[in-house]
Amino acid sequence: MRWLRRVSSEPLWKEEFSVHTADERYVTRRQLTKFLVLTSLGMFVGNIWIVIRSLLRKPPSFPQRVVATHGEIPVGGVKLFTYPADEDHCILIRTGDSAYVAYSQTCTHLSCAVYYSRENDRLECPCHQGFFSIKDGAVLQGPPSRPLPRIVLEVRGDQLIASEVKG
Amino acid sequence: MFGYEFYVDPSRCIGCRSCVQACEECETHRGKSMINFDFVERRESIRSAAYVCWHCDEPTCAQVCPADAIKKGEDGIVHSSLKPRCIACNNCVVACPFGIPKMMIPEQQMMKCDMCYDRMSIGKRPMCATVCPSQALAYVKPEDLVHRREKPTNVFYFGTQKITTKVYMMAPADREGIALDVMDYMWEEDHEMAETS
Amino acid sequence: MPNSTDLPPPSRGLTAISGAMSLIAVLLIVQIWLLSSALESFLAGNQHTAVPAAIFSGLMFLACLGLYFFVDHTDLEVRSTRDRGEDR
Repeated sequence: MRWLRRVSSEPLWKEEFSVHTADERYVTRRQLTKFLVLTSLGMFVGNIWIVIRSLLRKPPSFPQRVVATHGEIPVGGVKLFTYPADEDHCILIRTGDSAYVAYSQTCTHLSCAVYYSRENDRLECPCHQGFFSIKDGAVLQGPPSRPLPRIVLEVRGDQLIASEVKG
Repeated sequence: MFGYEFYVDPSRCIGCRSCVQACEECETHRGKSMINFDFVERRESIRSAAYVCWHCDEPTCAQVCPADAIKKGEDGIVHSSLKPRCIACNNCVVACPFGIPKMMIPEQQMMKCDMCYDRMSIGKRPMCATVCPSQALAYVKPEDLVHRREKPTNVFYFGTQKITTKVYMMAPADREGIALDVMDYMWEEDHEMAETS
Repeated sequence: MPNSTDLPPPSRGLTAISGAMSLIAVLLIVQIWLLSSALESFLAGNQHTAVPAAIFSGLMFLACLGLYFFVDHTDLEVRSTRDRGEDR
């Protein structure tokens, strides 16, 4: 840190071990200020790291996977599947004759598995009573702060194909 | 005490040693006097001089202490060495141009006048200045001295070293500072004196 | 007898330095929050919050650096006036 110090007539050890008791308070304060400024630099470096990571991040590519066939589940029924990877659990709900919605089953609060409540027509998390809307996965109630990620479904013939994760 | 300064006038010293006795009675330094009492040319005269620590602005004793044991406070008082740190190396005793620090061998600590810090901190005056009958050691306001013929100075020159002090010395009015060359005051052996006379 | 409560004049510069340090602490707290929220937003997938956050963090760091130089300068100034004997 020598290059950051202003030029002084006295060597550093004389200033830090001064014979004047009044200087001890200055030295302590100066050392604390140096430490705080270094911490500030550390925070700034952290932000720069986030910028670099966001610039280097590739847009995610999702596989296309057949998750169900039309008519496999009744109206108001559910089917569990995994998409895009085997550890990403999802839930498919048939809301109408030809209407299907699919969401990630991992609650955005503390990752409990959500289930479909037919009486209330919503997705519910049993752990802390977090409720999600069946229409768009938005949070209706409870501690979750983010909506449930939605699985985009495509209908090809009578096959339901998962193509993307949104949110 | 605010507004008061310490003045030393060796020409007023009568050698009564009240200051030595008064300083000895302090509990803080266990019955040892911190006054530096000297006789001047004792072979020829009865003159004496009593000195206290001059409490220099940049104390030489503190600067040479290898243990960082001597500290100067914000009020300008240079304190005796800190007991946990002093290693009794005598560096300060040798370095002080005025010869003030005393090395207490049994305690293994340097002790010196600290301007009666225990008294001053409760608003009393230093002990020696209080008892000196001729006010050779005086702790007064500057305006109390204007009637004296001598004028106070706190600038000393030792060779090329300039020292400014907190304690003032009363000196002839025409002096800017007091210059001392140690060689002028070296002790001469008898045979050397015989050669010059 | 003079007033026994008379004290020597307080050290100059310490008030200014304490003020500067409080400012640095406040800026640091804001920077900590900024970093945590930028990280959360990045992990949630938002790409467009990283750069403004980094810019503001950089500005706050520069402010902290300026305040540090002020502290250093005040310290040097107080020492030099004391050494010249003006601060007695």
